[in-house]
Amino acid sequence: MSGAIEFARASCWYGPVIALNDVSATIGPGVTGLLGPNGAGKSTFLKLAAGQLKPSQGEVTVLGAPAWGAPEVFHRVGLCPEPDAFWDGLSGWQFVTFLLRLSGFDDAEVKRRAEAALAEVDLLAAKDRRIGGYSKGMRQRVKLAQAIAHDPQVLLLDEPLTGMDPVNRHRVVELVKRLGREGRTIVMSSHVLYEVEAMTRNVLLVHQGRILAEGDVREIRDLLDEHPHAASVRARDPRRVARAVLDLPEVVSVEFGEGGESVVVRTTRPDAFYTALTEVAEEAGVHEVFSPDEDLESVFKYLLARRGGAR
Amino acid sequence: MSAEAKPLPPPVPFLRAAKAVFDLSLEEMVWSRKSLVMAGLLLLPVGLALLFRVVANLKHAPAGIDLYGLVVAMYYLRNALPLASLFFATALIADEVEGRTITYLLSRPVSRASILCGKFAAYVVTGLTLTLPGIVASFFLLVPIRGFAGLAAFVPDLLRDLGVAALALCAYGALFALLGVLLKRPTIPGLVFLIGWESLANLPGWLPRYTVTAWVRSLVRHRPVDEGLAELFQTTLPTGEAIAVLVAITILGLAGAYGIFSRKQFVLDQ
Repeated sequence: MSGAIEFARASCWYGPVIALNDVSATIGPGVTGLLGPNGAGKSTFLKLAAGQLKPSQGEVTVLGAPAWGAPEVFHRVGLCPEPDAFWDGLSGWQFVTFLLRLSGFDDAEVKRRAEAALAEVDLLAAKDRRIGGYSKGMRQRVKLAQAIAHDPQVLLLDEPLTGMDPVNRHRVVELVKRLGREGRTIVMSSHVLYEVEAMTRNVLLVHQGRILAEGDVREIRDLLDEHPHAASVRARDPRRVARAVLDLPEVVSVEFGEGGESVVVRTTRPDAFYTALTEVAEEAGVHEVFSPDEDLESVFKYLLARRGGAR
Repeated sequence: MSAEAKPLPPPVPFLRAAKAVFDLSLEEMVWSRKSLVMAGLLLLPVGLALLFRVVANLKHAPAGIDLYGLVVAMYYLRNALPLASLFFATALIADEVEGRTITYLLSRPVSRASILCGKFAAYVVTGLTLTLPGIVASFFLLVPIRGFAGLAAFVPDLLRDLGVAALALCAYGALFALLGVLLKRPTIPGLVFLIGWESLANLPGWLPRYTVTAWVRSLVRHRPVDEGLAELFQTTLPTGEAIAVLVAITILGLAGAYGIFSRKQFVLDQ
Protein backbone atom coordinates (compact mmCIF):
# COMPACT_ATOMS: atom_id res chain seq x y z
CA MET A 1 0.00 0.00 0.00
CA SER A 2 1.24 3.48 -0.75
CA GLY A 3 0.45 6.74 1.00
CA ALA A 4 0.80 10.43 0.34
CA ILE A 5 3.91 10.44 2.52
CA GLU A 6 6.39 7.59 2.43
CA PHE A 7 9.48 7.11 4.53
CA ALA A 8 11.60 4.23 3.28
CA ARG A 9 14.35 3.38 5.74
CA ALA A 10 15.03 7.08 6.15
CA SER A 11 17.72 8.26 8.51
CA CYS A 12 18.89 11.75 9.25
CA TRP A 13 21.79 12.79 11.36
CA TYR A 14 23.23 16.13 12.35
CA GLY A 15 26.94 15.47 12.61
CA PRO A 16 27.31 12.73 15.19
CA VAL A 17 23.71 13.08 16.41
CA ILE A 18 21.17 10.70 14.92
CA ALA A 19 17.91 12.59 14.74
CA LEU A 20 15.95 9.94 12.87
CA ASN A 21 17.09 6.35 12.58
CA ASP A 22 16.03 3.96 9.84
CA VAL A 23 12.41 5.05 9.80
CA SER A 24 9.90 3.45 7.48
CA ALA A 25 6.36 4.76 7.51
CA THR A 26 3.45 5.22 5.18
CA ILE A 27 1.00 7.98 5.89
CA GLY A 28 -2.27 8.15 4.05
CA PRO A 29 -5.31 10.44 4.09
CA GLY A 30 -6.70 11.65 7.41
CA VAL A 31 -5.06 13.14 10.44
CA THR A 32 -1.99 11.41 11.84
CA GLY A 33 -0.56 12.53 15.13
CA LEU A 34 3.17 12.49 15.52
CA LEU A 35 3.81 12.02 19.18
CA GLY A 36 6.96 12.08 21.18
CA PRO A 37 8.84 14.00 23.81
CA ASN A 38 11.00 16.98 22.91
CA GLY A 39 14.04 15.86 20.96
CA ALA A 40 12.39 12.61 19.89
CA GLY A 41 12.74 13.37 16.20
CA LYS A 42 9.25 14.68 15.41
CA SER A 43 10.45 17.94 13.90
CA THR A 44 13.13 16.14 11.90
CA PHE A 45 10.45 13.81 10.59
CA LEU A 46 8.34 16.79 9.48
CA LYS A 47 11.33 18.64 8.03
CA LEU A 48 12.20 15.61 5.96
CA ALA A 49 8.62 15.35 4.75
CA ALA A 50 8.63 19.09 4.00
CA GLY A 51 11.85 18.91 1.99
CA GLN A 52 13.72 21.12 4.41
CA LEU A 53 16.18 18.35 5.13
CA LYS A 54 17.69 15.72 2.89
CA PRO A 55 17.69 12.20 4.30
CA SER A 56 21.20 11.07 5.14
CA GLN A 57 20.07 7.60 4.12
CA GLY A 58 16.89 6.14 2.68
CA GLU A 59 14.16 7.97 0.87
CA VAL A 60 11.29 10.28 1.69
CA THR A 61 8.61 10.85 -0.92
CA VAL A 62 5.56 13.05 -0.85
CA LEU A 63 2.80 12.52 -3.42
CA GLY A 64 5.14 10.28 -5.32
CA ALA A 65 7.95 12.84 -5.66
CA PRO A 66 11.11 13.10 -3.57
CA ALA A 67 10.49 15.55 -0.75
CA TRP A 68 13.98 17.04 -1.10
CA GLY A 69 14.82 18.95 -4.25
CA ALA A 70 11.40 18.87 -5.89
CA PRO A 71 9.83 22.28 -5.32
CA GLU A 72 6.82 21.44 -7.51
CA VAL A 73 5.53 19.21 -4.73
CA PHE A 74 4.74 22.35 -2.71
CA HIS A 75 1.82 23.10 -5.00
CA ARG A 76 0.11 20.43 -2.93
CA VAL A 77 1.92 20.59 0.40
CA GLY A 78 1.30 23.08 3.17
CA LEU A 79 3.76 23.51 6.03
CA CYS A 80 3.08 25.18 9.35
CA PRO A 81 6.59 25.29 10.86
CA GLU A 82 7.22 25.26 14.57
CA PRO A 83 9.50 28.33 14.96
CA ASP A 84 7.76 31.56 15.83
CA ALA A 85 9.38 33.27 12.86
CA PHE A 86 7.99 35.94 10.55
CA TRP A 87 8.89 38.96 8.51
CA ASP A 88 7.69 41.09 11.39
CA GLY A 89 7.21 44.21 9.32
CA LEU A 90 4.46 42.52 7.35
CA SER A 91 0.80 42.47 8.25
CA GLY A 92 -1.02 39.17 8.40
CA TRP A 93 -2.56 40.00 5.04
CA GLN A 94 0.79 40.79 3.42
CA PHE A 95 2.30 37.62 4.84
CA VAL A 96 -0.39 35.31 3.50
CA THR A 97 -0.73 37.09 0.15
CA PHE A 98 3.03 37.08 -0.43
CA LEU A 99 3.24 33.34 0.12
CA LEU A 100 0.21 32.76 -2.09
CA ARG A 101 1.85 34.81 -4.82
CA LEU A 102 4.88 32.61 -4.38
CA SER A 103 2.60 29.64 -4.97
CA GLY A 104 1.86 31.05 -8.40
CA PHE A 105 -1.66 32.42 -8.01
CA ASP A 106 -2.81 35.56 -9.82
CA ASP A 107 -3.88 38.64 -7.92
CA ALA A 108 -7.61 37.89 -7.84
CA GLU A 109 -7.02 34.34 -6.66
CA VAL A 110 -4.47 35.51 -4.09
CA LYS A 111 -7.04 37.89 -2.61
CA ARG A 112 -9.81 35.31 -2.57
CA ARG A 113 -7.68 32.62 -0.99
CA ALA A 114 -6.06 34.91 1.56
CA GLU A 115 -9.46 36.12 2.74
CA ALA A 116 -10.77 32.56 3.01
CA ALA A 117 -7.70 31.31 4.88
CA LEU A 118 -7.61 34.22 7.31
CA ALA A 119 -11.34 33.79 7.93
CA GLU A 120 -10.78 30.10 8.70
CA VAL A 121 -8.42 31.01 11.52
CA ASP A 122 -10.47 34.00 12.65
CA LEU A 123 -7.89 36.61 11.73
CA LEU A 124 -9.75 38.55 9.08
CA ALA A 125 -10.46 41.43 11.46
CA ALA A 126 -6.76 41.68 12.39
CA LYS A 127 -5.38 41.10 8.90
CA ASP A 128 -3.99 44.59 8.48
CA ARG A 129 -2.12 44.63 11.78
CA ARG A 130 1.59 43.91 11.76
CA ILE A 131 2.46 40.36 12.73
CA GLY A 132 5.03 41.81 15.13
CA GLY A 133 2.11 43.09 17.18
CA TYR A 134 0.17 39.82 17.15
CA SER A 135 -0.21 37.64 20.23
CA LYS A 136 1.46 34.24 20.24
CA GLY A 137 -1.87 32.56 19.46
CA MET A 138 -2.52 34.92 16.54
CA ARG A 139 0.94 34.25 15.17
CA GLN A 140 0.25 30.52 15.33
CA ARG A 141 -2.99 31.06 13.47
CA VAL A 142 -1.48 33.19 10.72
CA LYS A 143 1.12 30.46 10.21
CA LEU A 144 -1.71 27.99 9.84
CA ALA A 145 -3.48 30.34 7.42
CA GLN A 146 -0.50 30.43 5.07
CA ALA A 147 -0.24 26.64 5.28
CA ILE A 148 -3.84 26.02 4.21
CA ALA A 149 -4.35 29.01 1.89
CA HIS A 150 -3.28 27.19 -1.28
CA ASP A 151 -5.59 24.27 -0.51
CA PRO A 152 -2.87 21.65 -0.10
CA GLN A 153 -3.47 17.94 -0.28
CA VAL A 154 -0.79 17.29 2.33
CA LEU A 155 -0.58 19.41 5.45
CA LEU A 156 2.38 19.26 7.81
CA LEU A 157 1.75 20.93 11.15
CA ASP A 158 4.57 21.25 13.65
CA GLU A 159 3.14 21.90 17.11
CA PRO A 160 0.33 24.05 15.68
CA LEU A 161 -1.66 24.57 18.88
CA THR A 162 1.14 26.07 20.94
CA GLY A 163 0.11 29.30 22.60
CA MET A 164 -3.52 29.25 21.48
CA ASP A 165 -6.36 30.10 23.81
CA PRO A 166 -9.03 27.42 24.38
CA VAL A 167 -11.54 28.97 21.97
CA ASN A 168 -9.10 29.13 19.09
CA ARG A 169 -7.58 25.81 20.02
CA HIS A 170 -11.03 24.28 19.62
CA ARG A 171 -11.52 26.12 16.36
CA VAL A 172 -8.23 24.88 14.95
CA VAL A 173 -8.84 21.34 16.16
CA GLU A 174 -12.20 21.31 14.37
CA LEU A 175 -10.60 22.81 11.25
CA VAL A 176 -7.87 20.16 11.17
CA LYS A 177 -10.40 17.37 11.74
CA ARG A 178 -12.56 18.70 8.93
CA LEU A 179 -9.60 18.93 6.56
CA GLY A 180 -8.71 15.37 7.46
CA ARG A 181 -12.25 14.18 6.81
CA GLU A 182 -12.08 15.84 3.39
CA GLY A 183 -9.38 13.34 2.47
CA ARG A 184 -6.25 15.41 2.99
CA THR A 185 -3.18 13.85 4.49
CA ILE A 186 -2.37 15.73 7.66
CA VAL A 187 0.54 15.09 9.97
CA MET A 188 0.51 17.00 13.22
CA SER A 189 3.36 16.82 15.68
CA SER A 190 2.96 17.45 19.33
CA HIS A 191 4.44 16.48 22.63
CA VAL A 192 1.12 17.22 24.30
CA LEU A 193 -0.93 14.09 24.04
CA TYR A 194 -4.36 15.52 24.55
CA GLU A 195 -3.80 17.87 21.62
CA VAL A 196 -3.32 14.94 19.30
CA GLU A 197 -6.03 12.94 21.00
CA ALA A 198 -8.47 15.76 20.27
CA MET A 199 -7.81 15.42 16.56
CA THR A 200 -7.16 11.78 15.85
CA ARG A 201 -6.69 8.28 17.15
CA ASN A 202 -4.18 7.57 14.40
CA VAL A 203 -0.74 8.11 15.82
CA LEU A 204 2.93 7.57 15.21
CA LEU A 205 4.90 7.41 18.41
CA VAL A 206 8.44 8.69 17.96
CA HIS A 207 11.20 8.23 20.48
CA GLN A 208 14.94 8.65 20.12
CA GLY A 209 14.68 8.92 16.36
CA ARG A 210 12.67 5.79 15.86
CA ILE A 211 9.03 4.99 15.32
CA LEU A 212 8.09 3.33 18.55
CA ALA A 213 4.63 2.28 17.42
CA GLU A 214 2.03 3.31 14.88
CA GLY A 215 -1.61 2.92 14.08
CA ASP A 216 -4.80 3.31 16.05
CA VAL A 217 -4.42 3.44 19.81
CA ARG A 218 -6.13 0.04 20.00
CA GLU A 219 -3.79 -1.41 17.37
CA ILE A 220 -0.87 -0.06 19.29
CA ARG A 221 -2.07 -1.82 22.37
CA ASP A 222 -2.30 -5.08 20.44
CA LEU A 223 1.37 -4.74 19.72
CA LEU A 224 2.06 -4.68 23.41
CA ASP A 225 1.70 -8.26 24.42
CA GLU A 226 3.18 -7.52 27.79
CA HIS A 227 1.26 -4.34 28.35
CA PRO A 228 -1.02 -4.81 31.36
CA HIS A 229 -4.55 -3.61 31.06
CA ALA A 230 -5.39 -0.95 33.62
CA ALA A 231 -8.76 -0.49 35.20
CA SER A 232 -9.74 2.19 37.65
CA VAL A 233 -12.49 1.19 40.01
CA ARG A 234 -14.39 3.74 42.05
CA ALA A 235 -16.08 2.12 45.03
CA ARG A 236 -17.44 2.81 48.51
CA ASP A 237 -14.85 0.36 49.84
CA PRO A 238 -11.91 0.26 47.43
CA ARG A 239 -9.88 -1.79 49.94
CA ARG A 240 -12.35 -4.60 49.62
CA VAL A 241 -11.84 -4.56 45.85
CA ALA A 242 -8.09 -4.59 46.33
CA ARG A 243 -8.26 -7.58 48.68
CA ALA A 244 -10.42 -9.48 46.19
CA VAL A 245 -8.06 -9.08 43.24
CA LEU A 246 -4.71 -8.93 44.91
CA ASP A 247 -4.21 -12.67 44.95
CA LEU A 248 -5.09 -13.16 41.30
CA PRO A 249 -1.91 -14.45 39.63
CA GLU A 250 -2.17 -12.14 36.59
CA VAL A 251 -2.59 -8.94 38.57
CA VAL A 252 0.58 -6.92 38.15
CA SER A 253 -0.12 -4.05 40.52
CA VAL A 254 -2.76 -2.52 42.69
CA GLU A 255 -2.64 1.17 43.61
CA PHE A 256 -5.02 3.41 45.44
CA GLY A 257 -6.13 6.49 43.60
CA GLU A 258 -5.97 10.03 44.90
CA GLY A 259 -8.14 10.49 47.97
CA GLY A 260 -8.40 6.74 48.46
CA GLU A 261 -11.76 6.55 46.69
CA SER A 262 -10.60 4.43 43.82
CA VAL A 263 -8.22 1.62 43.07
CA VAL A 264 -6.24 1.14 39.89
CA VAL A 265 -5.56 -2.45 38.97
CA ARG A 266 -3.15 -3.59 36.26
CA THR A 267 -3.54 -7.07 34.93
CA THR A 268 -2.46 -9.15 31.98
CA ARG A 269 -5.69 -11.17 32.18
CA PRO A 270 -8.56 -8.62 32.12
CA ASP A 271 -11.23 -11.34 31.89
CA ALA A 272 -10.15 -12.97 35.17
CA PHE A 273 -10.00 -9.59 36.82
CA TYR A 274 -13.50 -8.58 35.71
CA THR A 275 -14.89 -11.91 36.91
CA ALA A 276 -13.38 -11.37 40.34
CA LEU A 277 -14.60 -7.80 40.38
CA THR A 278 -18.15 -8.82 39.59
CA GLU A 279 -18.11 -11.11 42.61
CA VAL A 280 -17.31 -8.32 45.04
CA ALA A 281 -19.05 -5.48 43.24
CA GLU A 282 -22.11 -5.30 45.44
CA GLU A 283 -20.27 -5.86 48.70
CA ALA A 284 -17.65 -3.20 47.92
CA GLY A 285 -20.13 -0.72 46.48
CA VAL A 286 -18.48 -0.42 43.05
CA HIS A 287 -20.08 2.47 41.18
CA GLU A 288 -17.69 3.24 38.34
CA VAL A 289 -15.14 1.27 36.32
CA PHE A 290 -13.14 2.80 33.55
CA SER A 291 -9.89 2.13 31.81
CA PRO A 292 -7.38 4.94 31.94
CA ASP A 293 -5.65 2.94 29.22
CA GLU A 294 -8.06 4.47 26.77
CA ASP A 295 -6.14 7.68 27.23
CA LEU A 296 -3.24 7.97 24.79
CA GLU A 297 -0.96 9.14 27.48
CA SER A 298 -0.88 5.83 29.34
CA VAL A 299 0.05 3.94 26.20
CA PHE A 300 2.71 6.50 25.34
CA LYS A 301 4.27 6.40 28.77
CA TYR A 302 4.16 2.65 28.81
CA LEU A 303 5.87 2.35 25.45
CA LEU A 304 8.57 4.78 26.42
CA ALA A 305 9.14 3.02 29.70
CA ARG A 306 9.33 -0.36 28.00
CA ARG A 307 11.76 0.92 25.40
CA GLY A 308 13.82 2.45 28.20
CA GLY A 309 13.81 -0.79 30.15
CA ALA A 310 14.83 -2.82 27.16
CA ARG A 311 18.07 -0.93 26.69
CA MET B 1 -3.70 6.41 -4.84
CA SER B 2 -5.34 9.22 -6.66
CA ALA B 3 -2.94 11.60 -4.97
CA GLU B 4 -0.04 10.03 -6.81
CA ALA B 5 -1.87 9.56 -10.06
CA LYS B 6 -2.33 13.30 -10.55
CA PRO B 7 0.83 14.73 -12.08
CA LEU B 8 2.31 17.62 -10.20
CA PRO B 9 2.33 20.96 -12.04
CA PRO B 10 5.79 22.43 -12.74
CA PRO B 11 7.29 24.98 -10.34
CA VAL B 12 6.09 28.57 -10.57
CA PRO B 13 7.76 30.25 -13.60
CA PHE B 14 11.15 31.71 -12.74
CA LEU B 15 10.38 35.37 -13.40
CA ARG B 16 7.06 35.29 -11.61
CA ALA B 17 8.61 33.72 -8.52
CA ALA B 18 11.64 36.02 -8.64
CA LYS B 19 9.33 39.06 -8.91
CA ALA B 20 7.38 37.99 -5.81
CA VAL B 21 10.62 37.50 -3.86
CA PHE B 22 11.95 40.80 -5.21
CA ASP B 23 8.86 42.70 -4.04
CA LEU B 24 9.07 41.32 -0.52
CA SER B 25 12.85 41.70 -0.26
CA LEU B 26 12.78 45.26 -1.54
CA GLU B 27 10.19 46.20 1.04
CA GLU B 28 12.23 44.53 3.76
CA MET B 29 15.52 46.14 2.65
CA VAL B 30 14.31 49.65 1.99
CA TRP B 31 12.68 49.99 5.39
CA SER B 32 15.40 48.24 7.36
CA ARG B 33 17.68 49.89 9.92
CA LYS B 34 20.58 48.73 7.80
CA SER B 35 19.31 50.89 4.95
CA LEU B 36 19.09 53.93 7.19
CA VAL B 37 22.71 53.47 8.28
CA MET B 38 23.82 52.85 4.71
CA ALA B 39 21.87 55.84 3.45
CA GLY B 40 23.75 57.95 5.99
CA LEU B 41 27.05 56.47 4.85
CA LEU B 42 26.31 56.90 1.17
CA LEU B 43 24.93 60.41 1.47
CA LEU B 44 27.72 61.63 3.74
CA PRO B 45 29.71 63.17 0.85
CA VAL B 46 26.63 65.19 -0.14
CA GLY B 47 26.52 66.74 3.30
CA LEU B 48 30.26 67.38 3.23
CA ALA B 49 30.01 68.88 -0.26
CA LEU B 50 27.29 71.22 0.92
CA LEU B 51 29.38 72.21 3.91
CA PHE B 52 32.38 72.70 1.66
CA ARG B 53 30.44 75.01 -0.61
CA VAL B 54 29.26 77.05 2.33
CA VAL B 55 32.47 77.42 4.31
CA ALA B 56 35.41 76.90 1.93
CA ASN B 57 37.18 79.65 0.03
CA LEU B 58 36.14 78.49 -3.41
CA LYS B 59 38.66 80.71 -5.20
CA HIS B 60 41.54 78.67 -3.81
CA ALA B 61 39.79 75.32 -3.94
CA PRO B 62 40.97 72.59 -6.32
CA ALA B 63 39.05 72.12 -9.53
CA GLY B 64 35.51 70.85 -8.93
CA ILE B 65 35.94 67.83 -11.17
CA ASP B 66 39.03 66.76 -9.19
CA LEU B 67 37.15 66.99 -5.90
CA TYR B 68 34.27 65.06 -7.38
CA GLY B 69 36.71 62.47 -8.76
CA LEU B 70 38.18 62.07 -5.28
CA VAL B 71 34.74 61.52 -3.79
CA VAL B 72 33.76 58.95 -6.41
CA ALA B 73 37.01 57.03 -6.60
CA MET B 74 38.14 57.12 -3.00
CA TYR B 75 34.90 57.34 -1.08
CA TYR B 76 32.20 55.65 -3.08
CA LEU B 77 33.99 53.06 -5.18
CA ARG B 78 36.79 52.18 -2.78
CA ASN B 79 34.97 52.27 0.54
CA ALA B 80 31.28 53.05 0.91
CA LEU B 81 29.93 51.00 -1.94
CA PRO B 82 31.88 47.80 -1.13
CA LEU B 83 30.89 48.21 2.51
CA ALA B 84 27.21 48.65 1.61
CA SER B 85 27.49 45.59 -0.65
CA LEU B 86 29.01 43.61 2.18
CA PHE B 87 26.24 44.39 4.63
CA PHE B 88 23.37 43.93 2.18
CA ALA B 89 24.56 41.06 0.03
CA THR B 90 25.90 38.78 2.75
CA ALA B 91 22.53 39.13 4.45
CA LEU B 92 20.45 38.18 1.42
CA ILE B 93 20.04 34.60 2.53
CA ALA B 94 21.74 34.78 5.95
CA ASP B 95 19.00 37.04 7.35
CA GLU B 96 16.33 34.60 6.22
CA VAL B 97 18.21 31.75 7.85
CA GLU B 98 18.82 33.64 11.05
CA GLY B 99 15.22 34.86 11.18
CA ARG B 100 14.06 31.33 10.30
CA THR B 101 11.86 32.72 7.54
CA ILE B 102 13.82 30.72 4.96
CA THR B 103 11.45 27.84 5.73
CA TYR B 104 8.53 29.73 4.17
CA LEU B 105 10.51 30.46 1.01
CA LEU B 106 11.71 26.90 0.67
CA SER B 107 8.28 25.37 1.15
CA ARG B 108 6.76 26.97 -1.94
CA PRO B 109 6.76 25.61 -5.49
CA VAL B 110 9.56 27.89 -6.64
CA SER B 111 13.13 27.17 -7.68
CA ARG B 112 15.92 28.25 -5.38
CA ALA B 113 17.41 30.13 -8.32
CA SER B 114 14.35 32.38 -8.46
CA ILE B 115 14.64 33.10 -4.72
CA LEU B 116 18.31 34.02 -5.02
CA CYS B 117 17.83 36.14 -8.14
CA GLY B 118 14.79 37.93 -6.71
CA LYS B 119 16.77 38.80 -3.61
CA PHE B 120 19.84 39.84 -5.56
CA ALA B 121 17.74 42.10 -7.79
CA ALA B 122 16.25 43.72 -4.69
CA TYR B 123 19.76 44.28 -3.36
CA VAL B 124 20.90 45.90 -6.62
CA VAL B 125 17.87 48.20 -6.72
CA THR B 126 18.32 49.16 -3.06
CA GLY B 127 22.03 49.71 -3.57
CA LEU B 128 21.50 51.85 -6.65
CA THR B 129 18.74 53.83 -4.93
CA LEU B 130 21.08 54.61 -2.07
CA THR B 131 24.25 55.18 -4.10
CA LEU B 132 23.35 56.91 -7.32
CA PRO B 133 21.59 59.95 -5.84
CA GLY B 134 24.65 60.58 -3.67
CA ILE B 135 26.98 60.47 -6.67
CA VAL B 136 24.68 62.70 -8.73
CA ALA B 137 24.29 65.19 -5.90
CA SER B 138 28.05 65.23 -5.29
CA PHE B 139 28.60 65.93 -8.98
CA PHE B 140 26.26 68.89 -9.06
CA LEU B 141 27.58 70.31 -5.81
CA LEU B 142 31.28 69.91 -6.52
CA VAL B 143 31.92 70.13 -10.27
CA PRO B 144 30.39 73.61 -10.77
CA ILE B 145 32.32 74.95 -7.78
CA ARG B 146 33.60 77.85 -9.86
CA GLY B 147 30.53 78.25 -12.00
CA PHE B 148 28.33 76.21 -14.25
CA ALA B 149 30.26 76.95 -17.44
CA GLY B 150 31.62 73.75 -18.91
CA LEU B 151 29.53 71.55 -16.62
CA ALA B 152 27.96 69.78 -19.59
CA ALA B 153 31.37 68.58 -20.72
CA PHE B 154 31.68 66.50 -17.55
CA VAL B 155 28.21 64.91 -17.73
CA PRO B 156 29.60 61.90 -19.67
CA ASP B 157 31.95 61.37 -16.71
CA LEU B 158 28.99 61.34 -14.38
CA LEU B 159 27.14 58.80 -16.52
CA ARG B 160 30.26 56.69 -16.69
CA ASP B 161 30.63 56.82 -12.91
CA LEU B 162 27.03 55.78 -12.43
CA GLY B 163 27.61 52.81 -14.70
CA VAL B 164 30.80 51.88 -12.86
CA ALA B 165 28.99 52.13 -9.53
CA ALA B 166 26.24 49.82 -10.81
CA LEU B 167 28.81 47.33 -12.09
CA ALA B 168 30.74 47.48 -8.83
CA LEU B 169 27.53 46.91 -6.86
CA CYS B 170 26.82 43.81 -8.92
CA ALA B 171 30.35 42.40 -8.70
CA TYR B 172 30.80 43.01 -4.97
CA GLY B 173 27.20 41.94 -4.35
CA ALA B 174 27.66 38.61 -6.12
CA LEU B 175 30.89 37.94 -4.24
CA PHE B 176 29.32 38.75 -0.91
CA ALA B 177 26.16 36.81 -1.75
CA LEU B 178 28.45 33.82 -2.26
CA LEU B 179 30.13 34.50 1.06
CA GLY B 180 26.70 34.85 2.69
CA VAL B 181 25.53 31.39 1.65
CA LEU B 182 28.93 29.83 2.24
CA LEU B 183 29.52 31.01 5.79
CA LYS B 184 27.28 31.24 8.79
CA ARG B 185 28.90 34.50 9.91
CA PRO B 186 30.18 36.20 6.80
CA THR B 187 30.63 39.80 7.99
CA ILE B 188 34.09 39.52 9.53
CA PRO B 189 35.59 37.54 6.63
CA GLY B 190 33.97 40.09 4.31
CA LEU B 191 35.60 42.96 6.18
CA VAL B 192 38.94 41.17 6.10
CA PHE B 193 38.53 40.82 2.35
CA LEU B 194 37.72 44.51 1.90
CA ILE B 195 40.39 45.90 4.21
CA GLY B 196 43.09 43.31 3.64
CA TRP B 197 42.82 41.63 0.28
CA GLU B 198 41.53 44.65 -1.61
CA SER B 199 44.60 46.64 -0.48
CA LEU B 200 46.63 44.51 -2.88
CA ALA B 201 45.24 46.84 -5.55
CA ASN B 202 47.81 49.41 -4.43
CA LEU B 203 50.77 47.14 -5.09
CA PRO B 204 52.66 47.04 -8.36
CA GLY B 205 52.69 44.13 -10.75
CA TRP B 206 50.05 41.50 -11.27
CA LEU B 207 48.61 41.40 -7.79
CA PRO B 208 46.01 44.15 -8.39
CA ARG B 209 44.44 41.94 -11.04
CA TYR B 210 43.33 39.64 -8.22
CA THR B 211 41.31 42.35 -6.54
CA VAL B 212 37.92 43.74 -7.47
CA THR B 213 38.79 47.31 -6.68
CA ALA B 214 41.62 47.52 -9.26
CA TRP B 215 39.19 46.64 -12.04
CA VAL B 216 36.56 49.04 -10.72
CA ARG B 217 39.12 51.84 -10.36
CA SER B 218 40.35 51.28 -13.89
CA LEU B 219 36.93 52.17 -15.25
CA VAL B 220 36.90 55.60 -13.65
CA ARG B 221 38.36 58.13 -16.04
CA HIS B 222 39.23 60.95 -13.68
CA ARG B 223 41.90 60.19 -11.14
CA PRO B 224 42.07 61.40 -7.59
CA VAL B 225 44.38 64.34 -7.05
CA ASP B 226 47.79 64.18 -5.38
CA GLU B 227 48.04 60.52 -4.64
CA GLY B 228 51.80 60.64 -4.35
CA LEU B 229 53.57 57.27 -4.33
CA ALA B 230 50.32 55.36 -4.47
CA GLU B 231 49.65 56.99 -7.81
CA LEU B 232 52.93 55.63 -9.13
CA PHE B 233 52.05 52.10 -8.16
CA GLN B 234 48.43 52.11 -9.19
CA THR B 235 47.80 49.94 -12.17
CA THR B 236 45.28 51.03 -14.74
CA LEU B 237 43.81 48.02 -16.44
CA PRO B 238 42.20 48.03 -19.89
CA THR B 239 38.58 49.22 -19.87
CA GLY B 240 37.14 46.39 -21.93
CA GLU B 241 38.94 43.81 -19.85
CA ALA B 242 37.77 45.51 -16.66
CA ILE B 243 34.13 45.38 -17.74
CA ALA B 244 34.48 41.74 -18.77
CA VAL B 245 36.14 40.82 -15.46
CA LEU B 246 33.49 42.58 -13.36
CA VAL B 247 30.70 40.92 -15.33
CA ALA B 248 32.48 37.57 -14.95
CA ILE B 249 32.85 38.10 -11.19
CA THR B 250 29.13 38.84 -11.01
CA ILE B 251 28.15 35.76 -12.98
CA LEU B 252 30.58 33.43 -11.25
CA GLY B 253 29.72 34.82 -7.82
CA LEU B 254 26.01 34.31 -8.41
CA ALA B 255 26.56 30.88 -9.93
CA GLY B 256 28.65 29.87 -6.94
CA ALA B 257 26.06 31.25 -4.55
CA TYR B 258 23.34 29.35 -6.38
CA GLY B 259 25.41 26.17 -6.36
CA ILE B 260 25.64 26.30 -2.58
CA PHE B 261 22.14 27.67 -2.00
CA SER B 262 20.53 24.94 -4.07
CA ARG B 263 22.14 22.17 -2.06
CA LYS B 264 22.30 23.57 1.42
CA GLN B 265 20.07 22.33 4.21
CA PHE B 266 19.48 25.60 6.00
CA VAL B 267 17.62 23.95 8.83
CA LEU B 268 21.02 22.76 10.02
CA ASP B 269 22.18 26.37 10.41
CA GLN B 270 19.21 27.36 12.55
